[in-house]
Order: sequence, then C-alpha cells, then structure tokens
Amino acid sequence: MALPRPLRMSISPPELELIASEHLIEIVPLIAMEKTAFISGAYGPLRPPNKCRIPLWMATNLKLKKKCHIVSPDWLSVDFLQERLSEETSQQGFSRLPFRFAETAKVVLDVASDDVQDAEKIRSLLKDLREARQAKSRDGLSQLDHSELSLPNLCSMEINEIRPFFTQAMDVFTQLARQPDADNP
Amino acid sequence: MPLGAPPLFQEDEQETPLQQLIRYWTNERHAPDILPTEEDLLSRLLDHIRSQSETVQLLRSDPSSSEEEHFRIMLAQTEVERVKFVVRSYLRIRLFKIEKFARYIMTNPEVQQRLSESEVDHARRFARLTDQHFYHSVLQSLPESQQTLDDQPPFVPSMVTEPDKTRAVFAHARQNCPPVRLPDGTALKMQKGHISLTPYSVVEQLVTRGEVELV
Repeated sequence: MALPRPLRMSISPPELELIASEHLIEIVPLIAMEKTAFISGAYGPLRPPNKCRIPLWMATNLKLKKKCHIVSPDWLSVDFLQERLSEETSQQGFSRLPFRFAETAKVVLDVASDDVQDAEKIRSLLKDLREARQAKSRDGLSQLDHSELSLPNLCSMEINEIRPFFTQAMDVFTQLARQPDADNP
Repeated sequence: MPLGAPPLFQEDEQETPLQQLIRYWTNERHAPDILPTEEDLLSRLLDHIRSQSETVQLLRSDPSSSEEEHFRIMLAQTEVERVKFVVRSYLRIRLFKIEKFARYIMTNPEVQQRLSESEVDHARRFARLTDQHFYHSVLQSLPESQQTLDDQPPFVPSMVTEPDKTRAVFAHARQNCPPVRLPDGTALKMQKGHISLTPYSVVEQLVTRGEVELV
C-alpha cells in the first residue's frame, strides 16, 4: 500500500512540525558563514554577533551544535501569553495566535530552552492555553451541522487534534440530511 | 481584526516553490478527490535538488574545506533531505489515490486531465491488473451476468470506488473569497484567514483556484 492508514486523510504532528520549521526565525549566530543559496532561498551572511533570519530547521540544527542562540519570537513570552490566556478565559472566541504557534513553541522550547526567558513559566502557560482552547473547541461541537462550522483563529495543531471526530460527525450529519431525498425522489 | 494585525504574525511575504509544494501536499492529503497535478513545480524542485546534491558532492570531495564549509555542506544536505521528504509524501498520497480510484479514473477522461502522463499510465496498468486478478481468481467461475465490475445496481453504492466529495474538510482562506453556496442553501463568504469546517464540495472550486488551502 502506498500510504499507511493514519496518513490517508490526516497529517501527523511530526509532519506539522516539519512544515512549521520552514518558517523564518531570528538567531544570533556564533559562527560566520557567507550568504548561501538553499532550495528555499538564500540565507545569510552570518556575522556574529549580528542577528539574522533563517528557517527554524536550520536554527535548530545550528543550535544543537551550539553554533547559535535562537531569539525567541515576540509572542513566546510570559507577558504576551499571559495576556492571551486571560483573554481566552474571559471571552468567548479563540484569541489570536500565530497559526503554527504550538509546533514552533515546541521546537524552540525543546532545543533552545536556555535562550527563552522563563521557559518553565512559558511551558505552563502554553499548557493552560491549550486546555482553555480545547474546552472551547469541544463546546463548538454542539453547533455542528451538515453545512458549515466557522472556527476563527483555531490553530493548525488544534485542528489536527479535533479533525477525526469533527469530520466524522459532520459526515454523519450530511448522511442524515441526505436521507429524506433518498426516500421520495 | 481590530488589533491592526500586529507585526508578529507576519506571513513570509512571497511563497517559495517549496512552500507551494507543501501547500499542495497538505491539500492533497485532506481532499477526498484527486487534485490537478503540479508537474512543473515538481520538476523544477527536482532539478533544484539534483543541482544542490551535485554541489554538495563536489564540495565534499574537496579535502581542503574549512569548518565554515562543513557547516554549509551539512545544512545544504539537511535541506535536500527535507525537500525530498515533502516530494515523496506528495507523490505517495497521489499514488494512494490513483490506486484507490483506478477504475474511476479510467472511466472519466475529465479526471485523467488532472493527472500527469505517468500517473495515468500507472492508473491504467493498475486497473487492468486488478481486473485480471479478479477475473482469474473468482469472476470466471460466476455466471456471465455477474462478471462485470462496474454494475450500478439501485440502492447500493456503485461498484466503482468514487471520491466522496461530501466529506468534511477544514478550509483556511488565503485571501478574501467570492461567496460559495452551503448545503443548507445559505451563502458563505470567507474573509482572508477565515477557517471553516465544511463539506469538500463547497470549497472544491476555491481549492483548485488556490484561494483556499486545506489544513
């Protein structure tokens, strides 16, 4: 078979991580490198201690070899996340976060927790955010029907999480809605 | 958004060919139907992979390379592997659909246009192989009236597997989209950034035109 079953209609979290790792992030290099052409574009030149924007996968690679510091994105800070969390718990809709924040945060915190201020606090905030948002998406299930459900500001990892259940539920609604026609054509 | 789109959410301005392929790959993964092939993009990326690998080989064989060179080689190689992974994943999901819908593809010239030449070829051979296999293992010993593989008897699903276009998908608007008609009769106008769970048939056109991506 060309594809294992779990990958036939969904995408796996490691694959999402791979996609998120194409996004650019700022680093402080510890080695010098000339501007180099890559398939996704030309990056560099790296000149310590000047900041530079490179794809996240490249940053992780260099970081693991201790050749750079990752500058954590503005949204990956205690202040910002705290603010979003209070918004999340006080308001109805989902608060605005970068579309691939969960993947990016995981990668950055995994390899560069020493470059992130208050990494522990951020981890627990991310967890709280996740739980608050999860509860909301579960509530959203009650509004599901056979035609459309708007989920503004939902993020890629969260979509992936609710996908199997939500799509199947909607498929059942679609079948139910179609039934009356089948009886009297 | 009243927030005036803070700069921290900036998208990377121009979509690179690799990002395009990633988008087509996730679209293909989520869409129940088989989407138009992106042969040109694919061959451009494959050329790029080839030339990049050649450069890496060349630099590697040079014994006098500095430490800086080593890093560049290592990064370039890592990227080549990443791009190869995306290319393979894209082809695999298409291959899976081609084999699943082989008979459907061979009976619909319109669908064949969405496939590349080698893909149509594969579908043809695959359909023929399975047909022959079914015939030799079972069908030849059945009465002639029951030997066909494309019956469409009433009240049961057709024997030819067709994509279920009513399957629900998550659609993410990449730009403001023209209104589309929902199954309950109302219209939906997706603004840029809007995310919706809706049957695939609703957003099919928008996906083909690239106005919406499946996430």
